[in-house]
Amino acid sequence: MKAVGARLPRYDGVAHVTGRTTFVDDVRVPGTLWVKALRSPAHNADIKRLDTSKAEAMEGVHAIITWQDVPLLEYGHLSALGIPADEPLLAKDEVRYKGQPIAVVAAEDETKAQLAVEAIELDLEEKPALFDVRKAFDSDAPVVHQWGNWYTHFEDEMDRRQIRKGSIQEAFDKADVIVQGVYRPAAIEHVPLETQVCQVVPEADGRLTIYSCTQALYFSMGVVAAHLQVPLNRLKFVGGTVGGGFGGKVDTATETMCSLLALKSGKPIKWRWTREEEFLCSSTRAPWHMEIADAVTKDGWILGRKMLTLHDSGAYSRFSPYGLTKHSFHHTGAYTIPNLEFDGYVVYTNRVPTTAMRGFGVTSVSFAVETHMNRIAKELGLDPFEIRLKNANRIGDTSPNGIVYTDPSTVPTILAVADELGHELPADYRTMSSEKREGELLPEHLVGQLGNPEDH
Amino acid sequence: MRLTVNGIERGIESAPLTPLLYVLREELGITSPKAGCQQGGCGACTVLVDGEARRACLLAVAAVDGAEITTVEGLGAPEALSAIQTAFHEHYAAQCGFCTSGMLIAAHAYLEHGGSGERESIQETLSGHVCRCTGYVKIIDAVAAAAGGEITSRQKWLPQTGEESPVEVPGAPA
Ligand code: FES
Ligand code: FES
Repeated sequence: MKAVGARLPRYDGVAHVTGRTTFVDDVRVPGTLWVKALRSPAHNADIKRLDTSKAEAMEGVHAIITWQDVPLLEYGHLSALGIPADEPLLAKDEVRYKGQPIAVVAAEDETKAQLAVEAIELDLEEKPALFDVRKAFDSDAPVVHQWGNWYTHFEDEMDRRQIRKGSIQEAFDKADVIVQGVYRPAAIEHVPLETQVCQVVPEADGRLTIYSCTQALYFSMGVVAAHLQVPLNRLKFVGGTVGGGFGGKVDTATETMCSLLALKSGKPIKWRWTREEEFLCSSTRAPWHMEIADAVTKDGWILGRKMLTLHDSGAYSRFSPYGLTKHSFHHTGAYTIPNLEFDGYVVYTNRVPTTAMRGFGVTSVSFAVETHMNRIAKELGLDPFEIRLKNANRIGDTSPNGIVYTDPSTVPTILAVADELGHELPADYRTMSSEKREGELLPEHLVGQLGNPEDH
Repeated sequence: MRLTVNGIERGIESAPLTPLLYVLREELGITSPKAGCQQGGCGACTVLVDGEARRACLLAVAAVDGAEITTVEGLGAPEALSAIQTAFHEHYAAQCGFCTSGMLIAAHAYLEHGGSGERESIQETLSGHVCRCTGYVKIIDAVAAAAGGEITSRQKWLPQTGEESPVEVPGAPA
């Protein structure tokens, strides 16, 4: 326990400040070929013709791969959890987002690889694209995914993540006011200073050494092994040094394609995305559409919440079903609301697939919930701190998915914020704690809702 | 063409229009300057060219023929860190470390040119340098500390819990 409370030097600090940290781009392997990708110029299109023969014959080009070179073309980021796969490693019959990889070239340098990419013949037939999750449910909306415009494989093949708790009807009948709001945070690009990068070395014993900037090494290893249909012991992953990730390097963006190129060419392979590729083609934080209607009493108790969430997954599922699940568990934020009706959809559009980013699925809902708390306070003419303290999670309260809180921190956090801002509070709020509800803080609508923390 | 890099004179074989960044990284194997954007926007490739902080991704090597180049490798070694390197380490100014080389070079040039250590002037110096991890506060703290000559001593790493002996962490400077 010597380290607790101590100010420790970073174990990698000296290497960082002396320029000696070896990032993936700093690995030096003689004879390395560089990679460039042919990416879809269209948002949504059928591939009519793909011909790499001219490019293959070009000087300095060692290997080109398309979907035909991938032993298992579709493997989902959540396949290991039993969630079906929907995304091909390289586009086959169609492209669903601008920037989707169709073919990748390994050549002696980046210029030669780029020239070869430009020599690949590609004919596309463009189709109408869908960009707005709100239009995905319209009868005349283009259908952009093989499962329809939203994910249909939650438990029991449900097409949404659904939460029902208490009696929403009763809550809305009893309410003095219904407070509604719509919240739409936009997509955010992670912008790690280190763009996606990978170096693969084919070893004499038939194994591949893969220098990866992944945030999730064993996860990426499983994804590569699945696509290649090889046992894990054929792959040696070297990772752990990430030049910024923030969630964007959980997707396995480059490792599989570089591995296939290494096997096909027999040469070491390196792919380093340009900043432009990183902005246009790498996954982003999802845009979300959230609608909230709360049944509220005039003294600020939230009796019930109806919520609809549309999570923009982009063209494929990746981690979105998982992100939406987390989102649903947190849709009351740091507050306790006994009656809930939540419906959330993972919606497909022709945008770049979205992925994890710091607080996956939860930051969006925190933004919506906190903004909504302010809106409730404003509509009722109440203090926004008091309304938060009143509805705050306390020991024994239960989360939307039925977890009993044993150590919630809403009350001390809000009090600390009030202190920091010099916000005055009446004495009965000032002295609140996270202790179990009783007296005035256990109003009728919460009676019988409390769980026993001892059972958890 | 010739360059003196971190005190050693080197002959250069790359084509004249090759960016200095490529010459350093690919021809000479000096990897501290990073290719963050290769278009002048992030500062991760910054090196000293005859004492001035310049973006190596935007400089054709022919334009700096004969110059003296200093990269982070030339500022100090693990066993002999320079003041600004020590300050970055002690103030936790490097998180993932990818922007760090460029930040250090810019900060070093600022100090060499008699930078005052006022936060506004540090902000101005580092304004073209992107860091996605730290939020900049710790970086500015580090430069201000180095400018003020008050680099935190090893003392600060002693446990604050009444423990006597310092915590041993592999790789930490003595
Ligand atoms: S790589 Fe030179 S400024 Fe970004
Ligand atoms: S420390 Fe990661 S970008 Fe600055």
